[in-house]
Amino acid sequence: KSPYSMPGILHFIQHEWSRFEMERAQWDVEKAELQARIAFLQGERKGQENLKRDLIRRIKMLEFALKQERAKVHKLKFGTDLSVEQKHNESNGKCDFPSTSKTNELQTTNAHMSWRHGRQLLRQYLQEVGYSETILDVRSQRVRALLGNNYDAPKPVENDNQVVNGNISDEEKQSNTDGNTESIFKDFNFLNAEDNDNEDDEDLDWSVDQNKLNAMKEQFRQEKRQTKKKELKRKGSEMSRATEEVDIHIPDEGDCYESIENALGLGALAGLTYNQKQQKTSLNTQVLNLQQLIFKIWLSVTEFSTMDFQIAATKESYRKTWNPKYTLRSHFDGIRAIRFLPNESAVITASEDHTMKLWNLNKPLPSKKTQSLDVEPIYSFRGHSGAVLSLEVDADGSYCFSGGLDASVRVWSIPSVEIDAYDTYDPAVIQKVLVGHTDAVWSLSYSSTRQQLLSASSDCSVRLWNPTSNDPLIQTYTTEGIPTSVCFVQCDSNHAVVSHTDGKINLYDLETGQISLVLAEGDGSKYIDCSVNCVASHPTMPITMTAHDDKHIKFFDNSSGKLIHSMVAHLDSVTSLSVDPNGLYLLSGSHDCSIRLWNLDSKTCIQELTSHRKKFDESIYSVAFHPSATYIASAGADALAKIFV
Amino acid sequence: SSVMDPEPIVRRNPPGTKAEDFYKWPAQSFDEMDTTLAVQQHIQQTIRQDFTDTETILTVPPGQDEGVWKYEQLRQFCLELNGLAIKLQTECTPLTCSQMTATEQWIFLCAAHKTPQGCPAIDYTRHTLDGAACLLNSNKYFPSRVSIKDSSVAKLGSVCRRVYRIFSHAYYHHRHIFDESENETYLCRRFTTFVIRYNLMSRDNLIVPIMDDASNTSNNNSVDQ
Repeated sequence: KSPYSMPGILHFIQHEWSRFEMERAQWDVEKAELQARIAFLQGERKGQENLKRDLIRRIKMLEFALKQERAKVHKLKFGTDLSVEQKHNESNGKCDFPSTSKTNELQTTNAHMSWRHGRQLLRQYLQEVGYSETILDVRSQRVRALLGNNYDAPKPVENDNQVVNGNISDEEKQSNTDGNTESIFKDFNFLNAEDNDNEDDEDLDWSVDQNKLNAMKEQFRQEKRQTKKKELKRKGSEMSRATEEVDIHIPDEGDCYESIENALGLGALAGLTYNQKQQKTSLNTQVLNLQQLIFKIWLSVTEFSTMDFQIAATKESYRKTWNPKYTLRSHFDGIRAIRFLPNESAVITASEDHTMKLWNLNKPLPSKKTQSLDVEPIYSFRGHSGAVLSLEVDADGSYCFSGGLDASVRVWSIPSVEIDAYDTYDPAVIQKVLVGHTDAVWSLSYSSTRQQLLSASSDCSVRLWNPTSNDPLIQTYTTEGIPTSVCFVQCDSNHAVVSHTDGKINLYDLETGQISLVLAEGDGSKYIDCSVNCVASHPTMPITMTAHDDKHIKFFDNSSGKLIHSMVAHLDSVTSLSVDPNGLYLLSGSHDCSIRLWNLDSKTCIQELTSHRKKFDESIYSVAFHPSATYIASAGADALAKIFV
Repeated sequence: SSVMDPEPIVRRNPPGTKAEDFYKWPAQSFDEMDTTLAVQQHIQQTIRQDFTDTETILTVPPGQDEGVWKYEQLRQFCLELNGLAIKLQTECTPLTCSQMTATEQWIFLCAAHKTPQGCPAIDYTRHTLDGAACLLNSNKYFPSRVSIKDSSVAKLGSVCRRVYRIFSHAYYHHRHIFDESENETYLCRRFTTFVIRYNLMSRDNLIVPIMDDASNTSNNNSVDQ
């Protein structure tokens, strides 16, 4: 009897077929999964490649920055401080300089070697100087992780503020040995490896970036002081002589020179960041050319400007980086103004939701994480029947003043910061309604010396009030054009500055009611973004700072009326300014969603913080410094206020 | 192209803008709005175009998540209720209204405290609005303006219920203030339509009669529990 039967065979065939079908389905699923995985990994890898490329670019830019600064300082001053040199030698065992003779050999015999040599030296300089230790550490760690090398991150070195320059002493030249140099070269092998591997890529990268660079060059040209410009020009011509000996392959060198000469920012920014130490002469000059170029590109790269970055202010007595701490959530619409109470950790916000709110920063909501805390308001000021547009607090924090779309200026008594948020209503908080304006009140300014309040309204008038008196209106000044912002001159409260939508900025004598000085004529007819959004007065010097719709911040001298300085400060309209109580820093906010902190001596940006999202085309309305504590605040169209410490 | 590009529209109310020019830019279609606050922008824009057109204001744009829609509408209601609260502040004092009542049957206790308290009407109004502001802006329940967790959507109902009492107290105890405010904003009838449409409140609690709205005439005859 045969083991096979017809039904058996049929059954077997059917069974096998269904098994195959099942397996086929499984294979299809598997294949799809694997394809998805491949796509994902490819994308990831591409991202990593881009990241690696960017990081390498940044490393080069940092190196150039330092080179450029070396050249500048070297040209400025001559003569060496021997004690510092020796100390410098001891403190950092790695910083042995090859002798100049060896350098010359390198130059003439092997251009590529000198390039690498120079870069390695720059690395050392960066370490010595302690330039942006945090940046260096972060970057080098990232590169290390990417490249998988055992390169030690440079250790931060104590900053001396001594300015040292000039040639290396003979002793030092002789003390350098080839052996040291070799070991140094080994340490920096990863940098060299990068050079070799990416030589072609680099060239491509540079040429691609040139367009961006050109666009950003324009922007940078307008930014810095005239004196720096001349210095750089002089240095540039000197350095161009030195570079001719060396064949370093950088595209558009000549073009960049011109831009660098005009790029005042380089000198200013570099001056802020680098310690002045001794430099090599001939090697550094070549290297410095490259540094200049790459630093310029670095500063131009947009992505850099939108990141938080900090540059060590080595000339300052302390280094301060602001970090977000509190987020104030409770308003239903954009917050138009924010002010700190002078003697408390508290703020008041004024919003388009018709209310103002008082917040106590010492009582945030309990939270597991300490980095960013939410705060709820302890009091809501209700009274305005339209958006509240402006806000001021008096000198001892007992009263606050608000101006609204409903044309009223209101005086409020500020409740204690210790009150319970859900306390009984006290109608005494509403002190007064100052009636007089007939249109939106956009700006208020309070003078503690005069105990008087100025208000500016789109009814083309500025009014002076004594808020506590029974007949508060003291005087009305009719403006030529629509005022946007008013500010008492802090060091001379008999005067006030008023800015207008057509760009006019006038200094008024409050006694006579006349314009005593015209700081800016106003170009209402010439271009659409001529409006001045905010004026701020320096606490100790007769200087007025103004925020413009055309992205500029300008500085005027109150005595002469001259424009002291003008700089492109943001990527969009600058909406708000605040000066710190010591007159050292300026805070600016803009509709480009960023707030920037400026050093008023050097007029350079020392920190940028991205903050607030847009509603329609507006994002940040107001920024403020605390009058006595280390807080800064920003308020935006997204109904949030943020406090940084 | 030879045709000159039109100047880009910049939708801003910069300092110096006159009150009559506030928000006077060309309307932007909802689909073109690319900010995270698009729904708020759209609702406010529609109200500005015609605050009496309750139907259009409450019509959800196609494709818009309904949870977010309800949330943003409620934010806008709380914002506009401020107007009513300000008017009440002038007249409603602990002496005139020592408790939060509408009709005689109910006394509402304020939920803003650790244990519910019998606040005077003006305190109830302020606390409810402040409490609504805290809840609707809370990072815990509403961390995002573009997506709402289902568990958070459930909270909207209780906010509506408490906030509605401000309308009912104003209607029954400060009628002229209610009428004045309602004529300026159409807020109560829009709110009523809103809570009915999205089932945020039981109809039994809607005790303020709505004029001109046929679907709500039954409320005039409802018995308050």
